[in-house]
Amino acid sequence: MGRVLIHGGTIYTMVDGEKPFQGDVLVEDGVIREVAPSIDAADAQLISAEGYCVMPGLFDAHSHIGLFDFNHDKAVDDANEMTAPVSAGVDARYGMNPKARELKVAYEHGITAMLFTPGSGDVFCGQPFVAKTYGDNIFDMTVKAPAAVKIALGGNPKNTYGDRNQLPMTRMGVAQVLWDTFRRAKEYLDKKERGEEQSYDANLEAIIPALKGEIPCKIHCTQYDMLTAIEVAKAYGVRFSLEHAWGATDYLEEIVESGCDICYGPIATYRAAGERRKIDVEAVKLLDDQGVNVALITDSPILSEESLYHHMGEAVREGVSHERVLRMVTVNPVRQLGLEERLGSLEAGKDADIILVRGRIGLDTDAKVMLTMIDGEVVYTAGEYQC
Amino acid sequence: MYVIKNGTVHVGNGTVLAACDILIEGKVIKQIGKGLHVEGADIIDASGCDVFPGFIDPVSSVGAMGMPSRHLDNDECSDPVTPEMNLKYSIDPDEVNAQEFYKSGITTVGLAPTNNNLMGGQIAVCKTAPQKMGQRLVKEHAGLKCSVTNSVKATYGTANRVPMTKMGVFFLLQETLREARSTEAEKRTERQNVICSVFDEQSMPVFAAASTKNEIDGLLHMMKDEKVQINLVDGFCFADSLKEMLEQNVGLVLGNVNNMSQIAKNGMDLTKLNALVKNGNRVAFTNSCGGHSEGREVFLWSAIEAYRAGVAAEEVVKMMTLHPAEMLGIADRVGTLEEGKDADISIFTGHPVTTYAAKVVHSMINGEVLF
Repeated sequence: MGRVLIHGGTIYTMVDGEKPFQGDVLVEDGVIREVAPSIDAADAQLISAEGYCVMPGLFDAHSHIGLFDFNHDKAVDDANEMTAPVSAGVDARYGMNPKARELKVAYEHGITAMLFTPGSGDVFCGQPFVAKTYGDNIFDMTVKAPAAVKIALGGNPKNTYGDRNQLPMTRMGVAQVLWDTFRRAKEYLDKKERGEEQSYDANLEAIIPALKGEIPCKIHCTQYDMLTAIEVAKAYGVRFSLEHAWGATDYLEEIVESGCDICYGPIATYRAAGERRKIDVEAVKLLDDQGVNVALITDSPILSEESLYHHMGEAVREGVSHERVLRMVTVNPVRQLGLEERLGSLEAGKDADIILVRGRIGLDTDAKVMLTMIDGEVVYTAGEYQC
Repeated sequence: MYVIKNGTVHVGNGTVLAACDILIEGKVIKQIGKGLHVEGADIIDASGCDVFPGFIDPVSSVGAMGMPSRHLDNDECSDPVTPEMNLKYSIDPDEVNAQEFYKSGITTVGLAPTNNNLMGGQIAVCKTAPQKMGQRLVKEHAGLKCSVTNSVKATYGTANRVPMTKMGVFFLLQETLREARSTEAEKRTERQNVICSVFDEQSMPVFAAASTKNEIDGLLHMMKDEKVQINLVDGFCFADSLKEMLEQNVGLVLGNVNNMSQIAKNGMDLTKLNALVKNGNRVAFTNSCGGHSEGREVFLWSAIEAYRAGVAAEEVVKMMTLHPAEMLGIADRVGTLEEGKDADISIFTGHPVTTYAAKVVHSMINGEVLF
């Protein structure tokens, strides 16, 4: 893999405070070497970006691609273990099919990395990981594992165990499992740090990195359950994001005060009593205005990956600027996951995950990715792209 | 009386009128033209805005499901053949209201049965504004909803009833038609009367859910000599059966494109929509997929996917307005902004097909301003 010069595009670095400018990006051995108005690299292979936007690849912070498979009549579910409400130890990489057709749709739409997570059928659902969307072997594609502790409140765990007459059958039951598990995990960690002998517990082990602040908790919750999530997470001092966050407009102050992150989406479920009462996209604008780190998520393949554009679009429709909405699918989710050293912006030293775009994604409905590069390798060019 | 002033008026039939006014009197559009001055009319300024006829979703499930009851009200799966069911009796106005369809510009929905029955019942059309039901119902018996998808197999085959296979689905369709037709008129059941009136007298069009190539091919083969208008519902693989679609002038109600991997699963080629446009086939969009509805936003998203695939913006607008109105036989009242038609009007801050920065700032249904 030699040197590649992406020449003459409008560069969106996504670096804080930096405006788009005409310039070049030099890539070497899969890594960005330089981003500047003009780079002299006569020996480099040339990729023309004339007339296109050059951006970091997009990032979807909440996907189940390869874990759910809807391509067959009988849907495959490798996302939900659902044998015990605390299944924190299962690793999503082992449920993931790297040949899932949806990955192609993802990188053809410029989504170059995502967080793949277990579903929400348990209270502690397992360990999500971050991976690139192109490759053959999911362990080689992986950027970080585990990347978070996945937790779920509300109807999903309740229905799983309620149907079996087991705890938790109710939302208060879910809260009980949450409190109890964090308490046990904390005691387990304390004993471990004191060097006391205790029997190994793989599920509690998986929660330790969150208690130590090394990875965040991603907490599936909507409406009132957001307050439950905030209360418990604060009590144990963990970093966390509220996933889905439907109804967030009713809890703006509490969210801002807690300092948590938001992964909003999927947008566009039908409205019904309970968890689906409010699908309030306007929350994205209100939270962003108040300095909350907001990412937009598709929950793919529940909503298909290409709908990430529409999710950005709905935020724009509610008044989010194009510049801000781009951050919600690049630097924002990357920072939530502590991966800003490698992903999310065009800067020297970062992974060469770069896209060339005709038009403005999230604003122009016909914006189109012309070329996708992952780790310096061109993995997709649109039929009409001419280099 | 209202006058909507100075908007870019998208009539719905492909025509766009620049800086145009619309006079609304009572429930209907009284006049369209430039520089209308009417004493005593309230002015709605639409300068810089795009004005559209209300969008129409011809086969919505939400609105007739009856959440949270244990059995969906649009899913009479006691028998695979229930064409006599009238969706009017399953309408839940509050469920429609909760969707706030008009915030996405959708002012009329056809409420339809799920995909679980071969013949599920008759579509009823209603407005989406929270008004009295007497005013909202546009039409009953607007179309016969059928399905040849795997949902029928999944519903009956798993209980060891016909149909357990696709062969069974089409066998049942063929036999149901033959039996109804071969029964003497005075001896026909109500069910058979409906079937004969639809297929022999074209009393209403057929909206048939079919998604994969073999479902579409099987349906169009069996319907080849039938006179009734066929509209595919979902129809994700329509492009693989384009020849038959064109020859038989089949309509297409494209299902929710962004739902559950439809693009990845079906290798959908939406560029072929242009062939349907050129041939004059009607195309429409719906918030549903597989008989299940999602929220109001996905209707616009599917329209955007058509535009992304290269269908001209005003052709896409026709697919959101005039085409579904014609499919449901309600184009005399809705689907275009023309004098005498219902005043169902959305004022957007931009063109929602070409830019995401397009929000409904005013919505009017039956001449009543909702916001």
